[in-house]
Amino acid sequence: MSRPNTATPLERRYAMLGVILIAPTILVFCAVIVYPLFSAIYLSLFQIFTPTLQGSFVGLENYQRLFQRSEFWISLRNTLVWTIGTLTLQILLGVAMALVLHQNLWFRSLARSLILFPYFVSTVVAVLVWRWLFNDLYGILNHLMISVGLIDWPLDFLGSSPNAMISVILVGAWKYFPFVVIAVLARLQTIPEPLYEAAKIDGAGPIARFFDITLPQLREVLVVIILLRAIWDFKEFDLIFLLTGGGPLITTQTLPLLVYKEAFALNQMGMASAYAVVMMAIMLVFMVVYVLKTRNKDESR
Amino acid sequence: MADVVFSNVQKTFGTFTAVRDLDLTIRSGEFVSLLGPSGCGKTTTLRMLAGLEFPTGGTISIDGKVVNDTAPGKRDIAMVFQSYALYPHMTVAKNIAYPLKKRGVPAAERDQMVAKAAEMLQLTPLLNRKPGQLSGGQQQRVALGRALVRDPKVFLLDEPLSNLDAKLRGYMRAELVELHARLGRTMVYVTHDQLEAMTMSDRIAIMLNGDLQQFAPPQEVYRFPANRFVAGFIGTPSMNLIDGELTRAGSGWRFCAASLDVPVGPLNDMAQPGPACLGMRPESLSLGAGEQMAKVLLVEQTGHENIVTLQFAGQIRLTARTTAAQDLQMGADVAFAIDTSALHVFGPGETGPRLNRLLENKSSETDGQT
Ligand SMILES: Nc1ncnc2c1ncn2[C@@H]1O[C@H](COP(=O)(O)OP(=O)(O)OP(=O)(O)O)[C@@H](O)[C@H]1O
Ligand SMILES: [Mg+2]
Repeated sequence: MSRPNTATPLERRYAMLGVILIAPTILVFCAVIVYPLFSAIYLSLFQIFTPTLQGSFVGLENYQRLFQRSEFWISLRNTLVWTIGTLTLQILLGVAMALVLHQNLWFRSLARSLILFPYFVSTVVAVLVWRWLFNDLYGILNHLMISVGLIDWPLDFLGSSPNAMISVILVGAWKYFPFVVIAVLARLQTIPEPLYEAAKIDGAGPIARFFDITLPQLREVLVVIILLRAIWDFKEFDLIFLLTGGGPLITTQTLPLLVYKEAFALNQMGMASAYAVVMMAIMLVFMVVYVLKTRNKDESR
Repeated sequence: MADVVFSNVQKTFGTFTAVRDLDLTIRSGEFVSLLGPSGCGKTTTLRMLAGLEFPTGGTISIDGKVVNDTAPGKRDIAMVFQSYALYPHMTVAKNIAYPLKKRGVPAAERDQMVAKAAEMLQLTPLLNRKPGQLSGGQQQRVALGRALVRDPKVFLLDEPLSNLDAKLRGYMRAELVELHARLGRTMVYVTHDQLEAMTMSDRIAIMLNGDLQQFAPPQEVYRFPANRFVAGFIGTPSMNLIDGELTRAGSGWRFCAASLDVPVGPLNDMAQPGPACLGMRPESLSLGAGEQMAKVLLVEQTGHENIVTLQFAGQIRLTARTTAAQDLQMGADVAFAIDTSALHVFGPGETGPRLNRLLENKSSETDGQT
């Protein structure tokens, strides 16, 4: 931060005030973000037994081992499949629902509050309900699908290989699409009506109006939503852990679950920290891409 | 080329009537202004013609075809919105090309037409900018460009100049008139600015509270206002309107208010002895000589003339127009005379009808001219 020397005493006093006002925030930020961050990096250089926190310095050996393990690569792939799958569904479902709710329906305000329901429900409760719905012996989903003739035999939603991942992705989409609905709806309401009227007069039908006006107007908010949801989904833990625990085998084990398993089941705190640091590095790549993209856009304007 | 006919058109929002029993025939190629105070239903009328609002009664036809159930895009109209409504994410070129694209004009032809429209409106250097990077006047020209690129049957303009500064407004007014002359298209122009309506239109439709008050060429509206509202609305400074009594005097009539007592000549059949309203333009009062006396309250200098506010007979205020050379002191008494050949008489009430006989004679005369 270089301040011009031409600052007047008044300006300097204001600058001082700024520093004083921002100091508490900086301190809290350091305590809750910077410290854990560096301690994770530090811990990842040790081999540590979790219950006693005793260990020995091993340097980068944890990282070396990590990249050689197939479990890491499988978990990374699971994380990507989960993130991309659930995020795509969230966006599609969320935008579609927002468009529906944006119409002048008499039950709009009621529907708007109802739509938030999955987002409000605590994950534990939601997962319990879904596990019950999914159950292969008494679950209502199997019952319904058999009675309409879609399947002959109950499906094992959570206990067999591609099914478990698909189920987790669906529940994730159900749980988090309301966030997309609310954000998109807020933006939709600020698109000036005359734009649509002008397009109507210019001869654009409903579909053309969506692609030529609504979508370009939503683009910025969608970029933000996708980024935020991608980060949150990437590190999603409770929903997957409670629904499948990573199983069957490790087919739904994402990186956060792997970190947990390493730290508290295998009691390898150092190794777990190494996984966490790698995870963070991957997310950093996302963030840099995002920052670069948005900056280019601002300049080209 | 298309004429536009509103017949018996009605628009209600819930229990509120925005437009009532509107009958209006706009001739092909005509420039018509819808003029009136805020909330009188001008925009609603225009939007019904555009198909953005649906009449709750009556029919609208363009070119002899009833369009009540025709989608806006199929009416072959173009509209310039008050807010311009340019597509913010598209360049100027794309904005202008959009209506062509939606009508399936091939790309090469489209580019040509856009280039031509841009040239006509001096937009060529701006074609690659986004609307956010343009000034108000430039945006307004882009909106015009988007409207005229496709040569529609009818142009609709909703207060397109209201966001511009006075100088640019004057310039754009002239541009629009010239454009109309060149294209020869029917144009319907909404404004609340009487100067715009007077200077640009072939005919002006004056509305109040959803009712059409008068539909006539600017000169006729000015010289023979159909009722008291039109008389007060058209002209700056506005016409002096004095409430008083009408009495018969032989074959003619007299109008009295306070110490004022003037002959008003022959009136039409609607005239009845009793309350009425006398109207006189500021220019039909001459100051300095005459049989009436009034006190000078205020002298406003506009440069080449002065607008003088007088107080007459204790409570009646009058506005007069004098040359700047005439020296008047505020608070002084001054003699004035009324040009009795240019008086207007209206019935009682806000929209009291014109009672002078002159209307019928003159309106048929002006009709013959057009
Ligand atoms: N969608 C609507 N719902 C209810 N009332 C409306 C609606 N649109 C217009 N109105 C009412 O109809 C009347 C006429 O409105 P309109 O927009 O035509 O006025 P205007 O003559 O264009 O006025 P301005 O000069 O202020 O633009 C107003 O009183 C307005 O409040
Ligand atoms: Mg309006």
